[in-house]
Amino acid sequence: MRIDDATLARLMLRAQDGDAAAYRQVLETSRGWLVRFFARRIAPGQVDDLVQEVLISLHAKRATYDPARPFLPWLAAIARYRWVDALRRSYRAGEQELIDEPSSEADADEMVARISLDRLLALLPSGQAAAILAVKIEGLSVSEASVRCGQSESLVKVNIHRGLQRLAALVESD
Amino acid sequence: MTKLTIDDLVGDLAPVRRIRPVQIWLLALAGTAAAVVAVWYLFGLRGDVLAGEPKGLVLLRGGTLLLLGVSAVAALAAAARPGVGHASHGWRWVLAAAALFPLVTVVLSLAQGAMPMAELTSPSGPWCLGIGGGSGLAIGAVLTTWLRRGAPVSLTRAGWLVGLAAGAFGTFAYSLNCPSETVQYIGIWYTAAVGLCAALARMVVPPLLRW
Repeated sequence: MRIDDATLARLMLRAQDGDAAAYRQVLETSRGWLVRFFARRIAPGQVDDLVQEVLISLHAKRATYDPARPFLPWLAAIARYRWVDALRRSYRAGEQELIDEPSSEADADEMVARISLDRLLALLPSGQAAAILAVKIEGLSVSEASVRCGQSESLVKVNIHRGLQRLAALVESD
Repeated sequence: MTKLTIDDLVGDLAPVRRIRPVQIWLLALAGTAAAVVAVWYLFGLRGDVLAGEPKGLVLLRGGTLLLLGVSAVAALAAAARPGVGHASHGWRWVLAAAALFPLVTVVLSLAQGAMPMAELTSPSGPWCLGIGGGSGLAIGAVLTTWLRRGAPVSLTRAGWLVGLAAGAFGTFAYSLNCPSETVQYIGIWYTAAVGLCAALARMVVPPLLRW
């Protein structure tokens, strides 16, 4: 059963008051949502770790959720923050191909599109986005990315550095 | 692994008190009031301020600094409770308005063909930096402590905002003592005090907020 955002908001309100059953539902639903959120935007071997990091952050920062607001934009801000952190860590070579997780109908709504990682990447200049996609997400070497993106190797490095800085500043942008 | 973590997290659940924006507003108000009282006690206030008849420029600079601080605190209050599409950007417009003081200083200097030497060498200038910046550091420490309970996701921006708010409120406290009544003085020394606080906070605050 899929839980809508309004229900998640109510469950999170109860979780903030200490309701363990509600909290479990929030965490289980968030886990599934996060796996789809990160699909094709992080190496498959890193998805579990990243989802776990986000859930731990959700737990640590649960007092910062405002029940008067939608739940998913709050979760997405935390997820984007952790995602940028993960991109900054070096990509482990030899990962499997990226998983093309099919989007569900519920995930195709306007709000989910607005808070997606694709939307965040689209805010970058194309050169920076291409360099980050190639090296940090698809795992190409800098020289391979240089050929793919039509940028010199030093420009690829500069674009990755500047792009990650910019992503960090744009986490809450829609 | 994640399943196990969910069990752990649920087992660790305890009721929490939600972060409320009113908390940072009260802290900013208390910090600014404390800075004003300290300036009053240690250095005294301007005669026109004490008489309840402040001059126009004193009102203008004080109002601009308060607006800058308020808009930065509003952005910090929003940053503590993150959400895609929820960032507060009003502070940028207030900062642009405040930047009119240094801009006018430059324009006047160009028009007059001379540097504002009287203001640059004013003996009260270093006091402006010391009192405004010092008060700002204390206020910034209070704001940072509160913000660490939140979940800011743009740490660099949060650093700048802490510095802007703290510098603006601290310099406001000094402005009630400040003997100068020229735009150039405000454009040079007030800008330096607020800018110093902002630059310091930009360097120091982000690592303290990382989570």
